[in-house]
Amino acid sequence: MSAPSGHPTKRLTNFPQTTSSTILSSRTPGLYVHVPFCSRVCPYCDFAVQTGGTEKQSAYVDSLVQEIRSWGAQVRGQGRALGASGIETRQSVPAWSCVELFDSVYLGGGTPSSLTLDALETVFAALSEAFRLAADRTVTLEANPEDVTKVNLAAWRDLGINRLSLGVQSFDNDALCLLGRKHTSADAISAVRAALAAAFDVVSIDLIYSVPGQSADSWLLTLEQAVGLEPHHISCYELTVHEATPFFDAREHGQFVEVDEDTKADFFFATHRFLAEAGYFAYEVSNFAREPENRSHHNQKYWDHSPYLGFGPSAHSFDGEGVRWWNRRRLNDWADVLDEGRLPIADTEFLTCEQLVLEEVALKLRTAAGIDFEGIERRFGVELESLNVEVIKQLRRSGLVEADAAAKRLVPTLEGLAVADTLAASLEITSG
Amino acid sequence: MNKIRNFCVIAHIDHGKSTLADRLIQLCGGVSDREFQDQLLDTMDLERERGITIKSNTITLAYEAEDGETYTFNLIDTPGHVDFAHEVRRSLMSCEGALLLVDATQGVEAQTLANVYLALEQELEILPVINKIDMEAADVDRVLEEIDEELGLDPFEAIPVSAKVGEGIEELLEAIVKKLPAPKVDLEAPLKALVFDAEYNAYRGVVLFVRVVDGSISPGQTIRLMHNGAEYEVEEVGLLQLQQVKQKQLGSGSVGYVIAGIRTIDDIDIGDTITDATNPTTDPFAGYVEAKPVVFSSIFPVSNDDYEDLSRALDKLKLNDAALTFQKDASSALGFGFRCGFLGMLHLDVVQERLSREFDLSLLLTAPSVEFRVTTADRQTHIIENPSEYPDPAMIELAEEPYIKGSILMPDRYVGTVMELLREKRGADIKFNYLAAGRIDMTADLPLAEVLFDFYDRLKTITQGYGSFDYELLDYRPTDLAKVDIMVNGEKVDALAMLVHRDKSRARALHACKQLERTIPKQNFKIAIQGAIGRDIIARRTISAHRKDVTAKCYGGDVTRKRKLLEKQKEGKKRARAFGNVEVPQEAFLAVLRADPDES
Repeated sequence: MSAPSGHPTKRLTNFPQTTSSTILSSRTPGLYVHVPFCSRVCPYCDFAVQTGGTEKQSAYVDSLVQEIRSWGAQVRGQGRALGASGIETRQSVPAWSCVELFDSVYLGGGTPSSLTLDALETVFAALSEAFRLAADRTVTLEANPEDVTKVNLAAWRDLGINRLSLGVQSFDNDALCLLGRKHTSADAISAVRAALAAAFDVVSIDLIYSVPGQSADSWLLTLEQAVGLEPHHISCYELTVHEATPFFDAREHGQFVEVDEDTKADFFFATHRFLAEAGYFAYEVSNFAREPENRSHHNQKYWDHSPYLGFGPSAHSFDGEGVRWWNRRRLNDWADVLDEGRLPIADTEFLTCEQLVLEEVALKLRTAAGIDFEGIERRFGVELESLNVEVIKQLRRSGLVEADAAAKRLVPTLEGLAVADTLAASLEITSG
Repeated sequence: MNKIRNFCVIAHIDHGKSTLADRLIQLCGGVSDREFQDQLLDTMDLERERGITIKSNTITLAYEAEDGETYTFNLIDTPGHVDFAHEVRRSLMSCEGALLLVDATQGVEAQTLANVYLALEQELEILPVINKIDMEAADVDRVLEEIDEELGLDPFEAIPVSAKVGEGIEELLEAIVKKLPAPKVDLEAPLKALVFDAEYNAYRGVVLFVRVVDGSISPGQTIRLMHNGAEYEVEEVGLLQLQQVKQKQLGSGSVGYVIAGIRTIDDIDIGDTITDATNPTTDPFAGYVEAKPVVFSSIFPVSNDDYEDLSRALDKLKLNDAALTFQKDASSALGFGFRCGFLGMLHLDVVQERLSREFDLSLLLTAPSVEFRVTTADRQTHIIENPSEYPDPAMIELAEEPYIKGSILMPDRYVGTVMELLREKRGADIKFNYLAAGRIDMTADLPLAEVLFDFYDRLKTITQGYGSFDYELLDYRPTDLAKVDIMVNGEKVDALAMLVHRDKSRARALHACKQLERTIPKQNFKIAIQGAIGRDIIARRTISAHRKDVTAKCYGGDVTRKRKLLEKQKEGKKRARAFGNVEVPQEAFLAVLRADPDES
């Protein structure tokens, strides 16, 4: 289902219609901004990114501010709010009107750290003006090691950024080369150190494993180095070959040979075990935190059906109930539609109860907390446990889950986490 | 004196029967130039497309001969494929003569021989016709030699023609007048007519195609079908011209149609005798033996919802295809369907295509099988074609399978490879005859089961297209039969069980296991796939457990994608059947049931 698109007038007519006027529960919403620029595009990346000079960035920021303002007006429920280019809003009462506060701002991409400091300032100003932001909010910036300079670090802190996520990917120069990264291992190490010294609440490192040609030992070495630097948080992602990426094409032509399934499994288990021993707790398939408070507050929203509003090309949003929508993927399209006075929404989906349950199950099985039976019954009226007595027994027998009877949860073991997608498929969610 | 000529055109496939028939029709003015359409008598799209004739079609033509008289030609166009020999025979019984068509570029082929024998059986006057003389590769002299030596016919009688360009046709027409005998006519004798074909028409009911031998038929007359004594009043009779043309009467010696209020094809017997109810003949034709199906396959609709549609479609097809047999079948893997009997692989192919095309059905077919004959210790004999009917092996005294006599005609340079093929297919009593012009006629006794699937195609491949094949059923011979069960983690999958010759059992079992290995997705535990005879495991493959499937990232945009994938997986599960704890998707069944069992 796509959002209705009227003919281009200056009216914003295409806010997604939501199903009710209140947000369920007290799940606080977050804000996401997609910055589609990188100095170079990595061969494995399937995000909406491009290389873009300062002019392009400047134009992008203008459109972004426009989008932010339009949504801000909508959220505040104001009848008419004019943005820079005279966009009016039309009142319809979406769930957002009851929103109190946003407690998370996340700048992702792309390489958000490639935005100039002025640009960043403009963006944050627009966000603060348009939305009520909680005082204790998390503000995350994704950054590449090459953008980590003393000046930038200080400026980022000043702008209110309190969580820095560094795209290190590896401490092995060969792997870095294959992954098309601009920095060396040494660059990465000094960047992490500098970031840690700059008093962010959380410094996180992103790493990629199961890279062709990477031995188990060299990966463990990277992990050791990562852990040795003592970041608050580490994300470890298995290299995934996505369609329409250079790696995909290379694979089709036989020039890129993926690591085999068994080895991928080995890497996964080795990673989890190593990090667990090093004191990093896996709270999700790919995310490890030293302390509970280091966990990604923003990402958690994706996993518990909290609402979030996304800006920029390809950004996704969710109303916390059952409506999802996402923006046009290409920068030009996104900007053009905004120019025409409409929200750059590419498509919307209206989820049924069944679909929401399916998502809940799939998302929670990826997390250490697992599935909350009572929560599901409360929210959806589905008695998941009684629908799956045999299946759960079998999963326990196979060592894939632990049923925490006391807390009424279904918790995946490490082996279960590794096959979380299949587990989700084997649970019955309807009584039909 | 008698100006009727009843004849058919018989030949090997593709030697040009239909084109010749078109020419005869055209020259006899049966159709105006405007109406003329190539391959006129091949009325079905499928037939036209494949260049084959499936149904037998008859047409009555009027020929103005050189002697000034007008003759009535009743031309019966017959199917050429070995599967449809029974239709050829029925047509022959209505004729006095036969045009034996031989392609000048191909010469005498397996089915030419077969058809000659059929015609001689019926004591027809055979007129050899050499076709396609316009082609560069035509070698008329060689063909004349073959006609003489291989067919034992008089080469001087042979008429060279080119149906395509229209050469020699007039000579042929004259030869039909002069050389083929007229039918014996006796209008006074009690009615005796042969039903050589029938068709079901939604508006007119059953239309009988008859050859009136004695007496006559007219509207209002009460006729009796002698196979069951049922009586009907004749509504209409007529000639089979390009359209059915009403007549006042069909008299002795003629060929035409009869409509008599008969509701369904089941009420009639092809080969039956029609006589007058009040003055019946005392000399009916010997009852015609129904062609027996020899190849069996089960047909399932891809979607269970289409079952009713499939049932109706088969009923409709059967109206005009008496040889098609079917009965309800069920498989725990594939749901409800029908076990069908066919006259051969071509028949199976044609039926499947018609179901798919004319009725728009998506279907699954199981690999074809034959009927085995099994005698148990209590001296009972069972006919088995479904592995589930196989009795306890300990009780079996004797198992037999149907054999055929296959005959292959080919250039002698392929002898070696063809011999190998025959041996591979358990051929016995292999004999060969050197024929004219470097050709060999090879015969062998072969189990029908070995010939079913792809024998003809492989023969064509290894002889580079030059080999031709014909067969006839022989008898049942003892065989060493085994029932192979396929198991998945110890659970039997009944739909995949097979009855095979013991020598082939290991290869077939391994093949099935490999297909399953390829198509069953990994699950969270190891999966053992086994083929077994009784308790002996004869083949085995293992699918290792998958240890990791979870995707790396699950943020904003990933959730929708992940959910959609899950929805698809759940859909797939609905189409999978659980055997023990293993889920076997529909694709896996198809892979085993449809793959060529002799290709590893």
